Amino acid sequence: MIKHIIQREFFDHLNSLRFALTVIIMAALMVTNAVVHLQSHPDKVRSYSENVAGDRDTLQSRTDLYELLRKGPGKLYKQPSSLTFIADSSDAFLPDRGTQNWGSWSRTVGFGTQVKSIWSADYPTANPNSRDLRPKATKIDWVFIITYLLSFIPLLFTFDALSGERENGTLRLCLANSISRPALLTGKFLGTLIAVLIPFYFAVLLNLAVISTDTWTQLGAADWGRLGMILLIASGYASIFIAVGLMVSGGTRDTRVSLVVLLIIWVALVVFMPSTLGTLSTKWMSPVQTAHQRETARRSALDQINDDFQKRMTDKQVAKSQTGNLLNQFMDLMKTSPKAAEKLAKEKEAELRAAMANLESQKADEEELRIKAEFVNKDVEIRERLNRAHLQAQLAQVQRARVVTRFSPAAIVQYALESMTGTGLKRHLQFLDSVHLHMRQFRNFITETDRADTESLHIIGIPEGMSKKPISPQALPSFADKITFSDTFNAAIVDMLLLLGLLGISLLGAFFVFSRSDI
Amino acid sequence: MLHTLIRQEILGHLMSARFLAAVVITLLLVVANTVVLIDAHENRVASYSQQAKVHREKAVAAETYSELKLFVERPPNPLSLLSAGLEKRLGTTVEIYHGEVPTISSVSARNLENPYLNLFSQIDLVSIFQVVLSLLALLFAYDAIAGDWESGTLRLVISHPVGRGAILLGKYIAAMICLLLPVLMSLLIVMLQLSLASSIQLGTTDFLRIGGIVATTIVYLSVFYLIGLLISTMTRRTATSLMLCMFLWVILVLVYPNWSRFTLNPVGDMRPERQSAYQQVEQIWEEVDREEQRFLANSPLEGEPPRFNIGYSGSSSSSGRRYGFNMTKVNADSEPSLPHFQDYQAFIGTTHIRAAEKIGLINEQRWARTSIRQATWDERLMKFSPASLYTFATSAWVGTDIDGMLDFVGAVQAYRQILIDYLHDKDAFASRRWFASDQGAVDWWDLPQFRFAPVDVSENAQRALMDVSLLFVMNLVLFMVSFLIFIKVEV
Repeated sequence: MIKHIIQREFFDHLNSLRFALTVIIMAALMVTNAVVHLQSHPDKVRSYSENVAGDRDTLQSRTDLYELLRKGPGKLYKQPSSLTFIADSSDAFLPDRGTQNWGSWSRTVGFGTQVKSIWSADYPTANPNSRDLRPKATKIDWVFIITYLLSFIPLLFTFDALSGERENGTLRLCLANSISRPALLTGKFLGTLIAVLIPFYFAVLLNLAVISTDTWTQLGAADWGRLGMILLIASGYASIFIAVGLMVSGGTRDTRVSLVVLLIIWVALVVFMPSTLGTLSTKWMSPVQTAHQRETARRSALDQINDDFQKRMTDKQVAKSQTGNLLNQFMDLMKTSPKAAEKLAKEKEAELRAAMANLESQKADEEELRIKAEFVNKDVEIRERLNRAHLQAQLAQVQRARVVTRFSPAAIVQYALESMTGTGLKRHLQFLDSVHLHMRQFRNFITETDRADTESLHIIGIPEGMSKKPISPQALPSFADKITFSDTFNAAIVDMLLLLGLLGISLLGAFFVFSRSDI
Repeated sequence: MLHTLIRQEILGHLMSARFLAAVVITLLLVVANTVVLIDAHENRVASYSQQAKVHREKAVAAETYSELKLFVERPPNPLSLLSAGLEKRLGTTVEIYHGEVPTISSVSARNLENPYLNLFSQIDLVSIFQVVLSLLALLFAYDAIAGDWESGTLRLVISHPVGRGAILLGKYIAAMICLLLPVLMSLLIVMLQLSLASSIQLGTTDFLRIGGIVATTIVYLSVFYLIGLLISTMTRRTATSLMLCMFLWVILVLVYPNWSRFTLNPVGDMRPERQSAYQQVEQIWEEVDREEQRFLANSPLEGEPPRFNIGYSGSSSSSGRRYGFNMTKVNADSEPSLPHFQDYQAFIGTTHIRAAEKIGLINEQRWARTSIRQATWDERLMKFSPASLYTFATSAWVGTDIDGMLDFVGAVQAYRQILIDYLHDKDAFASRRWFASDQGAVDWWDLPQFRFAPVDVSENAQRALMDVSLLFVMNLVLFMVSFLIFIKVEV
């Protein structure tokens, strides 16, 4: 019997105007998406491989261990997903690389001792908006098509499914037969689902057919697996809205009321909630430090270790020098009365110069090197700690906002699709993890290589203290960013479960409302 | 008779579920978003004044003229909460430097606290009207004629001595009055919320701008109502009319604007334009270098510019062709060459200003031909959708459109000129204080302040006029067509 209802429901839809319009609009959008992808994807892939190759070449040109430490592991680029046409809009706001160069410093301390900074991790941000004069728009990717159309069209297919039949009396007729209400509802649900999904899958096939002509997009087995999951998510999302449509339609007598209620629900849930809730939630968030506050915090932390270092270095050098007394005297005078110091310098110019020269020519002893290395490493540590903390504060804000936006199924499905595609925030967080892992490996490599060299002083951070042996480029740990099926699946699983829960609730609601309503 | 028709229609609309639902959702969205937007605006005002203070401190901290680092900040526009436009997307900070004419690309956004939050698009109040009320307009219209036709009331009404035009007009006026209600209610609530927020003070001209937005909203909603009316007169069944209306709405409001922006690219490749601009700039700098060589050939200065062989203690900083000196003490043996050094600085200062002016022109042209042209073309194509027209018109009213942003760039350029005049007045380039603070630091007490006032309302009205009249023409055409069809239609 259910089969019969499904059939009837399905054929009814098949002949309707809305079905034809759905086919046209879905197909048009999906083909557009594919064509735009064909135009833009090659550039993306090309620039990624160029960037990676450039990064690798510069890294391998450095054969000196200290040089490696000083210049760092490179920019560490993020691999673009081969499925970018599915979810692409968020990636514009996420950086395409793991680290950025903030520059370097070199400083002269005490009596002409040079200290140079080594590499520390700084995180780039992407702000494509800041110079973009073009009008605001959302990219037409699968996420756009699914979140907007696969929610709007189910509502148009279901708003009169029960209320319409109730209005013209066929519902009474139908239930006069030996059909249970759940059976009728299930039949309607499945019939509509098939009718909604046929245009969608047809459009998806068109889209994939166009994309398969592209040599730049090669889809492997794992990609097809992800694609399958994505289609499953989309179908689940459409089912939620069909269930909601049936619920409202089953509870109202008037098709017009049913339509208006559904449209309002749709506008609120799909169009406004994802952004409104996202921005609304920032109101109650602990603020992120402003650029000025960050700069001040960094200055004060760095100044502290800097002063400490200057003092230790000067003390050390003065104590070391044989004519320490004279130099000491001179340094003290410089602080208190420069005029007297000048006088002293004129009187004992030769002796002073000799003392300075002596100091410089003397081979810097190990302790001095250690003080220098300690300072350089502390500098890196402070910078990285502050940068990391800032990044984490920023990301924490976004994640909290995302939790709040999950009230909207459109947001949930967007996040699930992005994670499955290998774009979006979850993927970026995974990418950052692998960047951090690589940074650790890179530093370990330097320490290990240095430890293997018996001639080295094992003082990491300054050229004199480290191994001078040239390193073979092959030994360097290489950064290869990969998108794996398990990673994307793990990132998407929570959102997928949420969708499943929503589907269950809306189906239950539809059954409950319909079984309690008068005919 | 028309009066009765209108009254009856209004009553019908006001008692309907759709009106109630749409008003409730509009007001809810407006209240929730206004709370966020006012909060965001207050944050921006706070950050603006803090930044302005930091910039000021940085500027007066310079001990020599060449060390001056002057930044200005774009003040936040309170009306941007109605129509955000480019206001929050573009950067707000510009550096003023005599050797560079600022363009739209010099405006930087590096003070943004959390760029990741751009993942959530900001909603302005106009976008709520744009989406919700256009939907309501269509819901009012889809069964206006088709519904009456189906239920047979149309025949009844026409049997009375009332013209068909009057029926159409009556329905139109009634629906427009009902559509205006949620707009006015929303604005009232926004005004209430604004009056509670201390940071936002609106002046008379701001109210004129809001009035302009209300007028534009009416014209916009009228377009959607007339689209619905046209469909309703053309179809005999409300179901068909409804489906056509809904799909058309999705296309006009959601799909087309995004589609046209991403698929159509009428400007094409802009790289050659950029390349040629770079080359021209390169040539100008080569010319400057040649002039510098010529000058140095006649100058007794020795050594490499810009330090030459001048012995001093102090600091110097450089970025590109820009040098900042702060000689706290000049060695006695370098003292005789200082007048020549001053001559050199005066020469290089004026040369750089002249070069900057030329480069500024080239960049201006380059931007006009690339980014601005692209943005204008995008806008033009998007204007096929009344929803986009509405967005552009409203952002023109509040001054958050491209023109508004270019106004700011213009003000910044004018301020740079004022700064140059100020430096010339002080004879700064040729003075010793340009590079040395050994005879006292520069006193910046009379450094001119930057001010940016939004353009006059009439100017805004002119900018919005084009879009509003396009909407108006759409209205006329739609009404004429529905009228003609309705006259011919068999009842």
